[in-house]
Amino acid sequence: MTTLTREDMDRSVSTKPKQYYDYTLLFLIIFLVGFGIVMISSISAYNATKYYDDAFLFVKGQLQYAVLGLVAMVGISMFDYHLVTLRFLRVRLVTWFYLICVAMQLAVLFVGHSTNGSSRWLELGPIRFQPSELTKIAVILLAAFVVQKAPKILDHFLGFVFVMAIFAPAIGLVLIENLSTAIILVGIVFVICFITSRKKGYYFISMGVLVVGGALAIFKVSYRAERIDNWLHVETADGGYQILQGLYAIASGGWFGKGLGNSIQKLGYIPEVHTDMIFSCICEELGIFGAVCLLALYAILLWRIFLIGLHAPDLFGSLIVCGVFVQIALQVLINVAVVTNSIPATGIPLPFVSYGGSSLIFTMMEIGMVLSVAKRIDYGNS
Amino acid sequence: MAVRKQRKKSKKRLTRKMQKNFLLVFAVIVGLFLCLFIRMAYIRASKGTEYSNAVLSHQSYVNSSLPYARGTITDRNGVQLAVSKRVYNVILDPSVVLSDEKFKEPTLNALAEAFSLNKAELEQILTDNPESAYYVLLKDQPYELIETYEKLREANHKVVKGVWFETEYVREYPYGSSASHVIGYTNKGNVGTYGIEQYYNSYLNGKNGREAGYYDAELNLVKKVWEAEDGDTVVSTIDIYLQNIVEEKIREFLTEYSCENIGVVLMNPNNGEIYAMASNEGFDLNDPRNLDAYYTAEEQAAMTDEEQLAALNKMWRNFCVSDTYEPGSTFKLLTVSAGLEESLISTGSSFYCEGARKLGKWTIHCNRQSGHGSLSLTESLMFSCNMAMMDISAKEGRALFRYYQEHFGLGSKTGLDLPGEAAGILIDEDLLNETELATSSFGQGFNVTMVQMLSAYCSLVNGGYYYQPHVVKEIVNQDGATVFENRDSLLHCTVSNSTSEFIKQAAYMTVESGTATPAKVEGYLVGGKTGTAQKGNRADKKYVVSFIGGAPADDPEVCIYVVIDEIHDETLYNSSKPATQLTSKILAQVLPYLGVYPEGDIDYGVEYTGDQESGDEVSEGPVEEDGEGDGSEPSVTPTAAPEG
Repeated sequence: MTTLTREDMDRSVSTKPKQYYDYTLLFLIIFLVGFGIVMISSISAYNATKYYDDAFLFVKGQLQYAVLGLVAMVGISMFDYHLVTLRFLRVRLVTWFYLICVAMQLAVLFVGHSTNGSSRWLELGPIRFQPSELTKIAVILLAAFVVQKAPKILDHFLGFVFVMAIFAPAIGLVLIENLSTAIILVGIVFVICFITSRKKGYYFISMGVLVVGGALAIFKVSYRAERIDNWLHVETADGGYQILQGLYAIASGGWFGKGLGNSIQKLGYIPEVHTDMIFSCICEELGIFGAVCLLALYAILLWRIFLIGLHAPDLFGSLIVCGVFVQIALQVLINVAVVTNSIPATGIPLPFVSYGGSSLIFTMMEIGMVLSVAKRIDYGNS
Repeated sequence: MAVRKQRKKSKKRLTRKMQKNFLLVFAVIVGLFLCLFIRMAYIRASKGTEYSNAVLSHQSYVNSSLPYARGTITDRNGVQLAVSKRVYNVILDPSVVLSDEKFKEPTLNALAEAFSLNKAELEQILTDNPESAYYVLLKDQPYELIETYEKLREANHKVVKGVWFETEYVREYPYGSSASHVIGYTNKGNVGTYGIEQYYNSYLNGKNGREAGYYDAELNLVKKVWEAEDGDTVVSTIDIYLQNIVEEKIREFLTEYSCENIGVVLMNPNNGEIYAMASNEGFDLNDPRNLDAYYTAEEQAAMTDEEQLAALNKMWRNFCVSDTYEPGSTFKLLTVSAGLEESLISTGSSFYCEGARKLGKWTIHCNRQSGHGSLSLTESLMFSCNMAMMDISAKEGRALFRYYQEHFGLGSKTGLDLPGEAAGILIDEDLLNETELATSSFGQGFNVTMVQMLSAYCSLVNGGYYYQPHVVKEIVNQDGATVFENRDSLLHCTVSNSTSEFIKQAAYMTVESGTATPAKVEGYLVGGKTGTAQKGNRADKKYVVSFIGGAPADDPEVCIYVVIDEIHDETLYNSSKPATQLTSKILAQVLPYLGVYPEGDIDYGVEYTGDQESGDEVSEGPVEEDGEGDGSEPSVTPTAAPEG
């Protein structure tokens, strides 16, 4: 580990095993969130002034979420992740957590607050959040728990089906309103199973089944089918406006960008520019070079998480880290792919950078889980 | 990696195989990152310029162009001859109409009622274009219908939505085919074609306005409107009443006779203003490509594209300006004037006509084969004697004769303010040998246009002042200021006052008791001269007959020139009678309108007492004697001037 010095090593021998804390990961996250706030302050100022008469409205909001997220992340990292395996009323906490999430997904369908045609928000007193974000955490934890209990069942196809079946209610409920999150959930469970399994063949078959199923799900819901059309004919389709404006931003930014603050497309042309479409304006202001640097930063982050997963003290920890890894990777991939019109449009925020409370705080909490796992690495033996 | 079982709870750890799997997943994700990078680079490389331009166009944008109104063309009394009318296009926005179920019915009802449309068709349009935001429902609607719709909309403004109007100008010619050759028409709204529309195109066109917006330093959208500048009003010298008289008489004439071309020009001899100018039957300015007046539907259907174009060009051609022909005897006035100016002859000179004269290898006949005998100068004009003219031109000689032709404005464009004017063709001085000089003296062998002849004639009867002919009096801009005035039309003096007086007398006598008696108008004093010129090959027996004249004879207020090209009538083909009769009919209506009052005979003191009979003259061209000559003709065949 790069963060360990000779001195640390020496001290660790003399005292009781020194607890390891992955500051590299922590600072990577703080840097990404800070970068996001800088970009939000540049990109959202026009719309914030125009509609809310406060240029720093979104910056202030994101700062608050970042502080909350930081507290939650560090707090969670202090707890042993094995706490979730404790029983409460004879049922493990991780199972309770999952069941509560399923219940909230159900609730959101009936009392949810809707934006852009999908009701994804749940209001609990003063807090308003997307339960699907919480569901991601629940699914990561439960999948890791179930799989580490009996990794060998995944050597058989039926075992894989069994694991998937456990998560079918949650995925199904998310799917109704939010295809992209459902895809991420499937991805999490799928990759956790894939890593643990010693047999690979059936994965490719089930992957095919999932793709076909996904396609059916898309074409069955009209507004998604329309998105396919917008994707294929982005320059002419009426609904392709947002993506086309994003493409304008990417192409006009050039290799090295127009400079921070100089975006034109942020001036009311790209809807949701400070949330899901932020990557397009990062391209416009910082150029493709800046965008690649950001992607490289994500790659380093993923590499860091990957290493923690490899060296986790037990399979449960490894699989939790794996789940977080998959989730962040998929979100980055899907977000950038949407902005570059590589896949049909879907609303996925760019982790740590896009404006948005639920997304930022819950993703940081997941990093807290990773840090918690990292803390228990027995570095002396690794 | 050794698996150490340190903890009680979790004994399992990631196996090497699982680590490999994880690494595979990581590798795939990094691979996908690379794909996204390539995708971004591709977007930049393939669409960079296009999309950058799209973004640049966001910084400032032109919202809409505000069309200008093309200037009006009026006649001399302010009657509108060509006017741009504002019309409205009805634009339907189906996406708005369909955005709320409650909009559809009332909106369609209002549209159907205001514009008399079929509601079922409107619904079909909505069904066919549900996404469209711009559907041109109707074009060129008058304001009254728009007003009706607006009233319906105001009554129900909450649910009548998704319809708006664009303004546009269309050119209208209230008088249809009247003065069509003088006015001309427009292509694509603002491109003048033929006539005043073409010649004064730059005055008539205005400047489009613009409504645009841009972002200022505080990123506020600033809107700015540049108003359109309408075109100037062109006041023509044409009097639409006189023009209509002329055209009506031409139509009457054409029901009686048929001819290749007919042209009539009315001009004010005292300033060069053209009152009326008509060629053939003209064409409908509101539908300039319509050949129905000249060809039947079957004939048109049988035409090739080239034939159709040729037919259209013939119809659009202004005979009075663009065509040249041999003037014939009307030119004799000019020959005589030149002789008087140079004192080679006097008003008392006398001539002897033997009927035919042999010049070199040519024999030239007078219009009366038996000869006029002894003639005074006045009589030589009255009876249009060729021999007398030959005598005069012989005295003048080639240099002087040629000088006077140019002096009277022949052989070059008059500078009339209409497109497509021809210059005519004169015989060069060094080719003007005895025979050519002789035939030229009575107007054969060279080509002129109607405006050239009429302008020259006007100068002979107005005291000797040559005015440049023109069809536009002044141009007034939208603020009412005169931006152009045709005032400097006096170019030079052609003849002395005394010569002018003599010509007026002779012209009067010609109408009174010479060859032009049918041109008389009851109660008025008309002066003028007939012309009958052979056309092209002398053997073809094709004639251009004409009459040029003015009234009142002693101080003309209006001059008229009638030219009939190749009358299709065996008995009349070389008679000037149709031209003189037509003149009389036209003048009978024109003179009262111009405020010229009828009066009695005037005494010029040159009472004609001779024994000459009045009658039609034929100015025979040189006739080749049998067995003699080389067959070449000394005259120039009429050629049409090129268009434009």
